[in-house]
Amino acid sequence: MSWLSILIFLPLLAAIMVLLLPASQRALYKYIAAAACLVQLVLSLYLYIGFNDTLPGVNTIEGYQFVEQVPWIRLHLGSLGSLEVDYFIGVDGFSILLLLLTALVMLLAVIASWKMEQRLKGFFSLLLLLNTAVMGVFVALDFFLFYVFYEVMLLPLYFLIGIWGGPRREYAAIKFFLYTLFGSVFMLLVMVGLYFSVINPLTGNHTFNLLCMMNPANYVPGAVFSPSGHYEWFGLSARLLGFIVLFVAFAIKVPVVPLHTWLPDAHVEAPTPVSIILAGILLKVGGYGIIRICYSIFPDIAITSAWWLGLIGVVSILYGAFNALAQQDLKRLVAYSSVSHMGFVLLGIASLTPEGLSGAVFQMISHGFLSAMLFFLVGVLYDRVHDRMIYNFRGLAMLMPKYTAFVAIAFFASLGLPGFSAFIAEAFTIIGAFNSQGVNGLIPRWMAICGSLGILLSAAYFLWTLQRMFFGHTRLKGGEQWQVQLTDLNLRETIALAPMVLLALLFGLMPSLTFDKINASVLNLIEWVNNVHQ
Amino acid sequence: MDSLNQIAAVVWATLVVLLAPLFAFILSAALGKRMRSGWLATVAMVISLIAAIFVFSQIWNNEPIHQQIQWFQIGNHPFAVGLILNNLSVVLLVLVCAIALPVFIYSRVYMKGDPGIHRYWMYLSLFCFAMLGLVVADGLLLLYMCWELVGFASYLLIGFWFTKEAAIKANKKAFLINRIGDLGFLIGIAILYTQFQTLDIITLFGEQGLVKQAPPTVLLTWAGIAFFLGAMAKSAQFPFHVWLPDAMEGPTSVSSLIHAATMVAAGVFMLVRISPLFDAQVLFFIAGIGAFTAFMAATIAVTQQDLKKILAFSTISQLGFMMVAIGLGQYGVAIFHLVTHAFFKCLLFLSAGAVIHEMSHLKVQHRLNMDPQDIRNMGGLRKFMPWTFRLTAVAALALAGLPLTAGYLSKDAILIYAFEWSEWQSGVWKIIPISLLISSALTAFYIARLVFKVFFGKFRLNRTFRKQFHLHEAPKGMRYPMVFLAIGSLYFLYSYNPLVFEDAWLLRGLATTTSLQRVNIYHTVIPAAVNGLSIIFIYVAWRWYGRRKYPIRSLSGPWYRFSEAQWYGHHVYGTIVKGTLGLAKILYAFDRKVVDGFVNSMGGLISALGNIARWLDCYIVDALINGLGNLSFKIGGILRGPRKGKVQYYMLSMFLVLLVVLLIGLQFF
Repeated sequence: MSWLSILIFLPLLAAIMVLLLPASQRALYKYIAAAACLVQLVLSLYLYIGFNDTLPGVNTIEGYQFVEQVPWIRLHLGSLGSLEVDYFIGVDGFSILLLLLTALVMLLAVIASWKMEQRLKGFFSLLLLLNTAVMGVFVALDFFLFYVFYEVMLLPLYFLIGIWGGPRREYAAIKFFLYTLFGSVFMLLVMVGLYFSVINPLTGNHTFNLLCMMNPANYVPGAVFSPSGHYEWFGLSARLLGFIVLFVAFAIKVPVVPLHTWLPDAHVEAPTPVSIILAGILLKVGGYGIIRICYSIFPDIAITSAWWLGLIGVVSILYGAFNALAQQDLKRLVAYSSVSHMGFVLLGIASLTPEGLSGAVFQMISHGFLSAMLFFLVGVLYDRVHDRMIYNFRGLAMLMPKYTAFVAIAFFASLGLPGFSAFIAEAFTIIGAFNSQGVNGLIPRWMAICGSLGILLSAAYFLWTLQRMFFGHTRLKGGEQWQVQLTDLNLRETIALAPMVLLALLFGLMPSLTFDKINASVLNLIEWVNNVHQ
Repeated sequence: MDSLNQIAAVVWATLVVLLAPLFAFILSAALGKRMRSGWLATVAMVISLIAAIFVFSQIWNNEPIHQQIQWFQIGNHPFAVGLILNNLSVVLLVLVCAIALPVFIYSRVYMKGDPGIHRYWMYLSLFCFAMLGLVVADGLLLLYMCWELVGFASYLLIGFWFTKEAAIKANKKAFLINRIGDLGFLIGIAILYTQFQTLDIITLFGEQGLVKQAPPTVLLTWAGIAFFLGAMAKSAQFPFHVWLPDAMEGPTSVSSLIHAATMVAAGVFMLVRISPLFDAQVLFFIAGIGAFTAFMAATIAVTQQDLKKILAFSTISQLGFMMVAIGLGQYGVAIFHLVTHAFFKCLLFLSAGAVIHEMSHLKVQHRLNMDPQDIRNMGGLRKFMPWTFRLTAVAALALAGLPLTAGYLSKDAILIYAFEWSEWQSGVWKIIPISLLISSALTAFYIARLVFKVFFGKFRLNRTFRKQFHLHEAPKGMRYPMVFLAIGSLYFLYSYNPLVFEDAWLLRGLATTTSLQRVNIYHTVIPAAVNGLSIIFIYVAWRWYGRRKYPIRSLSGPWYRFSEAQWYGHHVYGTIVKGTLGLAKILYAFDRKVVDGFVNSMGGLISALGNIARWLDCYIVDALINGLGNLSFKIGGILRGPRKGKVQYYMLSMFLVLLVVLLIGLQFF
């Protein structure tokens, strides 16, 4: 059993513990969950420190670290050969930081649910199950295994939103569920198609091994997804169609415009800890999937459709930003700002330059803890007065100075103030996107320029919100009663928020903490995609 | 070995200059309300100033120092963080400290008793740190970071009184307009990175820099424009000047810093830093924008009634002068004017602060309903505040550019170079020196108007409220820093010769890249013309405002209103903001109605299909099965009717069926 497996299944163990403990011990649940997350955090830090920066990952098993590969399902199917599914996990530059991020955000989510009172057993066991699934998605190197974790992720989230959510929770939950299911059902088809197109050179069987799928030499000549084959459906080549289907599945997660409408509803209805997990981690599954699966398995298509991906990224940036500007619900504003900020991830990936791709990965990490922090802050307000409409508050700075300071820091960090992580991420995404035309001609320069407008707009909506809610003379919709209820941050909240601020600063001032880990993988992916294309 | 030690000492000293205010900032942030007196920030500034003077003495006209360490690496491209210490950076280093320290000392008295004072010291230290970092940064990325940090600190300071509605709107405006410029800066960085794969300033813009060797391309011209866009926003050039007058909502001591050495200076400095980038087109563009801004702001300053607004537009106008100097290729002159302007403009603001301080005091003490910044409420203050008056007069003379002041040297340099430069351009470009001449005359007029209205005549509030008010001289803690600045506004700090700018040591130390043919006649005629005009205009101002023989009856002419409304700049911006918000609302409606509407209608469609399927299932499929079931049940009932429970009959019927099947089967074989 490798460290990675422990990282994945530790929360599952904790979930079982929570389920087995009688309801009379329910005060213990949160401690069990917090302890599991804390151990995970230490473990992922250990992996992060032990990570070898020089190994390139992506397409060779030698490039991965902490690898564990054991046969899982072997079914002899007669003339069809044997079904080969492995429990195959490993880490490279693209995933190591996401593990760290997941552990951190999960811990924050547990802290945010400290005051939870209803149906604790279900809540914490689902939270822990979700944790297992997410960790699994980030390390799985077998498509079947990936798919299993990917689908398992869905289930706890559906219940977490649908049971513990706000007034329209059922609508939001079913919307979220159907959207994601719509993506993943078709992903299943492509996965099966890939399985029958690829042969593991070591065993001679068809395989779900992702690394085997990346190498064009492993494809059966004439198979559906074979690069040399010319299958067509509806006038589109099979490989293009496969790429599109996988991309749509992950794009829903990111989410990109126009597949984003589940996000504002899910966020608004979800309880604070679930919002934190949604924005902090789940959106990154989309970006990660695009890199790990779409780009690595279909590099030829990735190159030819880069222009469209870039365009979708830019549209998401601007569209999300404009929508955020029009919001009157603070949580919805943050949700739309997520759409805008995640657009940078797509733009950076599409550019396929070292700067752009590194910027995109950095943006995933940075947005991970910044958005988690933002949702936590919204939750603080909502906990106190059960309201979060921007116009119902005014002059909160007089009432809650510490809270205002944290909000201001989170806002400025999110709008890309230098010194914080988002600045490095966005600046390099823009630089990389701009560079693309000269280096590989994938996306035109105007996309970078339009993308940079998103940085301006994000300043506009965040500063405007600061001005409307926090500055000026105190005036509250709830009057005297709210004045009493709106107490400043307590110790628990400060303890949860302070590390986030410090991390955003640390990553912003020492970007090498990220870049050193991902450089080898980024360069390898770019080289790999370009080679296959030629 | 010795020189190595010396380099190390200088680098360490520079780090002390930078880290002292940063340390003050962090400690103030950590200690919060316990840091009210500001001694920490002030001491940090003293240390910075001393270290900066040491660095200056070691570097000025000596070998420049460039030290860096690797910061991070993306792909195969390393990015470094480091320092450049050359004549340009050390001048600014000393200037920032030398301007900031008097402001700090002044603030200790001026801001006393403010409930948020601990935040004030914290922000002020951050502001200085950011500006000092910007001055010595050796890479464009680092420069950009400091650049935005300066903007952020100014946001905090402008909105220092955050319960004041105007202040929080002003700081948002300042930050957003600066953001527009920042985008230009970022795009400029992206262009240079695309072309040269590095952001190191020395590698790009040094003596043997990549930019100098590169063939001229359209892309590099665009890079020049993009960087200038950044400078336009930071240094408040048309059309991005609108934030600066609004920024007056911050404390006056903050304004003095923003207008002198920390914020608006950044744009001019950055352009000089990257000057090898600019080709002829970009330089024309810079000169054009600068001259226009100088003229526009001067015409606005003439009619403003708010003491600080006049000074704000004066700053915009003077920044326009500096931009013109850059456009002419006279980078040294631009920096020279930046330095002299920093002293006299800071002094003007601190004097204004002293006046406003007294006026507000009066307002609070007597519960008067009046605007303490409106110059129509002042008058005759020289009797109450003789020192403030004298110091203001020195600064005003320097601003007007009269001989014996520092302003004379630097402003005449710009004008003379502008005329020499226009000799070599086509006739249209004569408009730049001529417009500068007009702006210069207007400058003399508006500052004279200010001085005469505030300090001469009779105190107008006495008449308005029919009382005898008494004002006090500014306390020593405010006066001494002002004296220091006044010394910096006089000529002898810069040149032994009060009349010829070319003797200024500062100018000689700074490179001028384009050497123009010296046209001797201009060096005597232009100063004479400029000063002649200035004196005439000051005399006019004296008659109008000093002797109160104002010739114009009504203040409602279209030109007057145009000037008073600040050329309607705010209205244009208001329209843009409204348009953006309108677009945002439309897009949100689109998102809800169309995008989400589609999703919901898909959901509706599917659930309708489900209902149809359920109906089919219930009434067709199920009905069929049930019907069949019923049918067979009935047939069974009929058949079994008469032979209930008799095994023999069952056997018989089974035998018969089997026989039939066998017979049918036999048919096939």
